Amino acid sequence: MKINLLFRAWTRCKRSSLLLLLVLFCVPTVSAQTVSLTGTVSDAQGVLPGVNVQLKNKLDTATTDANGVFHVNVLPEDILVFSYIGYLNVELLVGTQTTIQITLKPDTTALEEVLVNAGYYKVRDKERTGSISKITSKDIETQPVSNVLASMQGRMAGVNITQTTGVPGGGFDIQIRGLNSVRKSGNDPLYLIDGVPYSSSPIGSGQSSNVLPGQPSPLNSINPDQIESIEVLKDADATAIYGSRGANGVILITTKKGRSGKTQWDINLNNGFGTVTRFMELLSTQQYLTMREEAFANDGITTLPIKAYDVNGTWDRERYTDWQKTLLGGTSQITDLTTSVSGGGAQTHYRASASFNKQTSVFPGDFKYKKASFNLSTHHQSEDKRFEADFSAAYTLQDNVQPRGDLMTTALSLAPNAPSLYNPDGTLNWENSTWINPLSNLQGEYTAKIDDLFANALLSYQLSPHLALISSMGYTTTNSNEVAASPSTQYDPAYGVGAEFSSLKLGTSSRKSWIVEPQVRYQNGWSDLKLDALLGSTFQSQSSRMRDDLGQKFASNSLIYNLASASVKTILLNTEEEYRYAAIFGRINLHWKEKYIVNLTGRRDGSSRFGPGKQFANFAAVGAAWLFSNEVLFKDQTVLSFGKLRGSYGITGSDQIGNYQFLDTYGSTGNNYNGVIGLEPTRLFNPSFGWETSRKLEAAVELGFLKDRIYLTTGVYQNRSSNQLAGMPLPGTTGFSSLQSNLAATVQNTGVELSLRTVNITHKDFSWISSLNLTFSRNKLLEFPDLDASTYKNTYQIGEPLNIRKVYHFMGVDPATGLYTFEDYDGDGSITSNGDRKIIKDLNPDYFGGLLNQFRYGQFHLDFLFQFVKQENFNSTAFFASPGLQFQQPTTVLNHWQNSGDIAPHQLYTTGANGDAANAASRYKDSDAAISDASYIRLKNISLSYQLPTSWTKNVQCKLYFEGQNLWTWTKYDGGDPEFKSTGYLPPLRVLSAGIQLTL
Amino acid sequence: MEKYNILKVLFTSLRKPKNLFTLFLMVSLLLTSCEDFVEVDLPSDQLYAEGVFEEPSTAKAAMVEIYSKIRNSGLFTGVSEGAPFSLANYTDEMDFYGPNNLGTVPFYNNTLTAANLDVKNIWDSSYNQIYAVNAIIEGVAQSKDLNEELKRQLTGEALFVRSLLHFSLANLFGGIPYVKSTDYQINKNLSRSEVALVYSLAKADLEVAVELLPEVYLTPNRTRPNRSTAKALMARLCLYAGNWEEASNAASAVLNQTEMYGEVNDLSQLFLNTSSTTIWQLSPPNNSSNTSEGATFIFTSGPPPLSAVSTSLLAAFEPNDLRKLEWLKAVTNGTTTWYHPNKYKKGVNSSAVSEYSIVFRTAELYLIRAEARARTGNLTLAQEDLNRIRSFAGLSATTASSKEALLQAILNERRVELFTEFGHRFFDLKRYELLDNFLLVVKPGWNSTDSLFPVPEMELSLNPNLEPQNLGY
Repeated sequence: MKINLLFRAWTRCKRSSLLLLLVLFCVPTVSAQTVSLTGTVSDAQGVLPGVNVQLKNKLDTATTDANGVFHVNVLPEDILVFSYIGYLNVELLVGTQTTIQITLKPDTTALEEVLVNAGYYKVRDKERTGSISKITSKDIETQPVSNVLASMQGRMAGVNITQTTGVPGGGFDIQIRGLNSVRKSGNDPLYLIDGVPYSSSPIGSGQSSNVLPGQPSPLNSINPDQIESIEVLKDADATAIYGSRGANGVILITTKKGRSGKTQWDINLNNGFGTVTRFMELLSTQQYLTMREEAFANDGITTLPIKAYDVNGTWDRERYTDWQKTLLGGTSQITDLTTSVSGGGAQTHYRASASFNKQTSVFPGDFKYKKASFNLSTHHQSEDKRFEADFSAAYTLQDNVQPRGDLMTTALSLAPNAPSLYNPDGTLNWENSTWINPLSNLQGEYTAKIDDLFANALLSYQLSPHLALISSMGYTTTNSNEVAASPSTQYDPAYGVGAEFSSLKLGTSSRKSWIVEPQVRYQNGWSDLKLDALLGSTFQSQSSRMRDDLGQKFASNSLIYNLASASVKTILLNTEEEYRYAAIFGRINLHWKEKYIVNLTGRRDGSSRFGPGKQFANFAAVGAAWLFSNEVLFKDQTVLSFGKLRGSYGITGSDQIGNYQFLDTYGSTGNNYNGVIGLEPTRLFNPSFGWETSRKLEAAVELGFLKDRIYLTTGVYQNRSSNQLAGMPLPGTTGFSSLQSNLAATVQNTGVELSLRTVNITHKDFSWISSLNLTFSRNKLLEFPDLDASTYKNTYQIGEPLNIRKVYHFMGVDPATGLYTFEDYDGDGSITSNGDRKIIKDLNPDYFGGLLNQFRYGQFHLDFLFQFVKQENFNSTAFFASPGLQFQQPTTVLNHWQNSGDIAPHQLYTTGANGDAANAASRYKDSDAAISDASYIRLKNISLSYQLPTSWTKNVQCKLYFEGQNLWTWTKYDGGDPEFKSTGYLPPLRVLSAGIQLTL
Repeated sequence: MEKYNILKVLFTSLRKPKNLFTLFLMVSLLLTSCEDFVEVDLPSDQLYAEGVFEEPSTAKAAMVEIYSKIRNSGLFTGVSEGAPFSLANYTDEMDFYGPNNLGTVPFYNNTLTAANLDVKNIWDSSYNQIYAVNAIIEGVAQSKDLNEELKRQLTGEALFVRSLLHFSLANLFGGIPYVKSTDYQINKNLSRSEVALVYSLAKADLEVAVELLPEVYLTPNRTRPNRSTAKALMARLCLYAGNWEEASNAASAVLNQTEMYGEVNDLSQLFLNTSSTTIWQLSPPNNSSNTSEGATFIFTSGPPPLSAVSTSLLAAFEPNDLRKLEWLKAVTNGTTTWYHPNKYKKGVNSSAVSEYSIVFRTAELYLIRAEARARTGNLTLAQEDLNRIRSFAGLSATTASSKEALLQAILNERRVELFTEFGHRFFDLKRYELLDNFLLVVKPGWNSTDSLFPVPEMELSLNPNLEPQNLGY
């Protein structure tokens, strides 16, 4: 009776996905009269491995092996429950059978079964009160990507992700429901791997990593192959339990775990190649030289300067090199190998895996990125099922060797008739010191070796049927060694310099963090009421060290990777920082009559990043849901299969600023003067800033039609972030560029998110499922007291988004003078930054989303994802120097002013001697003419796989597949890759790959 | 430590699960320790600001850091982004041959815009240095632990640097804010003071510095300014401000100390770090580096990787001028010959250290006094000073006898004596109001408005009180 009640009260468990909980609270039954039963489970396509076979109301379980076979000891009166994600459960009375053949039918939506990880607790998808998006390993595995954020692109409503470089090891920008902070670096979500916070702040100081737009991103240490699911928590209900760190959303990464049953081996080998998606159209040599000559003529320069090597005949005027193709046109070879083994018995199961990834570079030269990772996870439970222990660990090694600098800028700026790269004898050609050979960049390497250890333990003990003690403990450490060498061979031999001019930058950094989270959980049920309550506390500490060394004056270039061989050694940076964080949190979840759900969460947080008296703050949220389809009114109809209204309101915060910002200190600079190492004022200080708070409001309706074959979720949200923690920019006359403070400003994000999943066709041999996600978002600066008197005056505008640019209004080219003209708003007769940059351009996307189609025909699976974004961005003119200079140009500048009276989009060419033209060209880049439509539709991912029939492969399951990423892009964008926003860096690559997966 | 306690208690409670009371006690204990838990120690590389001025060694470290900064960035650094090299290209001293994408190009072409990052860097790093000297002045004033002597020394040095930086900024940008406090609330809204006011504020600071600074040098190689350094700056400042009498007196006050500031007969030795004509020089960053100027200007094969001496500067030397022989060096590729400044003869990574960047030396003071004397009609004494410089260069006495001719002779003498040192040429032409006369001829991109640099655009955006922008930008 007691157990029965527990069943109902706790989990309302009809299906087996909650078996774990069941297992915890059942008293094991042992019987002597069991018989051995063997069975095979299959679906319309063939045998099903991994199906859970459970004896109803008992603890005994089994899992089907690779051939769909299971063995279990049963009594005749036992009922077997077969369950498998994505399929309808089947119950069967054993009776006298000793062998069983069973066929499972796909559940068209399977939503009922989906458990969603909400961090400190799990919730059934249909019963959740918060806004949580999820992708699983099935979505991730179809993508040939090596970064976890790449695998999320285009697949989640409200989550906008852009890649910042195509060079492996770099980072991504992610915005969950828009920009909340006026501080550019304050918009990162909180990442947790298996419940342990994982710092996403970049590794190292960036002194050596010139090839990347920033520093290496630690997220590269997370191997997508090892991920079971990624959940993104968005609204107050889901994020308030993360308190001060939840304002920008929370990303929960769950790694793959083992399953009980026969030992299963998996081997996955994948080979592919990557190329740059889109090159710009640039001038031919003929067009280029005509432009240059015209520029000199315009400037009245008749004798070509000695420096004008491109036109004055020093360089071959007939020569043409497509520098984009030469410097970026290579093919990146990508190899990925993953193997895993899993298995175990009733009490213990495990999974161990290793994977290896290697990517070469599209740059000329021998550069590559290598990653190896090892994962282990174990689960154990005591015989009485009251004690459970989960342990997982991952160790990842990255070895990245790249050129010292990205060649993108050079590829876009070199004159098309610039000299050849090599002399006939194979040495670098410097063409009598008339240019810097771009390959000189490749003489020095950037290497980054990063290793990352992650370990986590989760212990739980069931004190009584209602009360459990849980403690999670985690430890992460990241160590990196970055080296950037500048050998003297990168310089023109005309400098006559030897190894004494070689230098080496070494950056070492380490980050260690531990967390302990003891928790108490109480669950109980009464006739119509279910209660689930949680109380816990968090202690977290993160310490980091960084050191940068500079070595100069080497005896030989062959020793330049050894700091000890440098005769001058300088320590550029040596810092140690500590961050501490403590909190108490809780949750109360109430269900009433399976129709009404209320979820209360709260947290009290303290952070060492704030000064005395400002360290602690409270955060809380309330969420509620009404499952109206369970009302009597909807009982006797077949159209609406599910209906839920949910809403939430709450407060979260952000403490994403550097450590120690509230202190007035002097720091050691390492600069030597007369043998004394200097001390400098570290910052302008402000001791009294506190938390940034974000108030989030959300309402959503979830509707399932026709047995959930059509499933629609529509949500609207409004987030308001205030008390903005910002480095207030200051003029240089203050001695610094910014001051940390709380601004009484409010940023609002509103939006509509729509997810639609339709099962278009479901048939034995053929099925077609579509999923669409679409996000309309609007970002707005609501209030900002004294904005006009503040230093943000020219950056922001009340009523407008944060991501705006205030630009000049381009009025066309003056037919008389041939110069760009701009609207003189303040009418003072000159175009000035303060008076005339009045046009506001919003660079946030208007809407974005993804459309995923999944087809199955027999053993063939075909998935493809279209990603689409409606946005504006800086176009090609913003990336290029003004036409006429000794720099390459896009072909768009050909349409230009030449003679008085010409109407043309571009102004006259100038070599820079015409100061008015140079100023106008510089303003043009800051005008509305330089920002244009950058919308695109991209075939982000395609995946085709074929599962060989088991009749061919015997005991081995074999899948062959083909995958592609960034395959096709439709855009009218005048520029390079429209998805890409970091000027001067390699854009994301188009990747095609093929692979084989074996399971035995 | 907290970690282990927590774990211990946790494990204990797991072993005795029935003892619920213990558990709740534990949780509540943990929570009460939160306050202490989130307090952290200072990072290893930082000190509390007030602590810096409690100890002489840290207070001195704060002061010398400013010289390191002056050496490394901004108005006086010898690297190619610094004002000295940029100004040599901006005027008629150097011709640029280097790659098109270097920051020097817009200087050489006289096509600076308000968005130019090197100009912004000169502005920002100078004001950062000014903040640091103001922090020293304020920190020293509040210190209870430093002795009076050290307080006078540090305050004197800080005032000297404040004066030097503002004076130099005003010569580049015209009117600028004169910053005398570390308070950002004040500093973020400052407006520009007229050049004349900047000069008089700089002069006032300098007068106090002269009082406070000791006559002797604190370091063997004259790397920290003394009273004479402040007077040398006073001479330069008064010359620029047109206070001829004072300029002359200040120069004399230094030059009369013949024991301290002697003569160097061999011009090739004049830029060694032991030179007795040096008044103030900047110590290199380590014991195996020479000057950045050396590294920037010197090249060994043609065409020049960066800049070479311009033909007009070459032509400005009189025949048999020893300076042309000793301070320039020819480099040829067989067909063409270029020259690089060879005052500093060693690049950064040369072996033993023998050269420092010299900021003030006596030759400038002789020329200042010559000019001041000429302008006040004291022609004979002016000739005497001028001829002294000429005789070291192996040249005969000047033939200029009228005031006008003498002033022109002094201008040319300054050109060939002080070339590629901190932009003297630019400031001289500006004082003489001859920028257009000289530069329009040799610089196709030159405009009259190029006599001032643009105030960085960002600066105007952040502080509209700095409006209006200089003409032409």
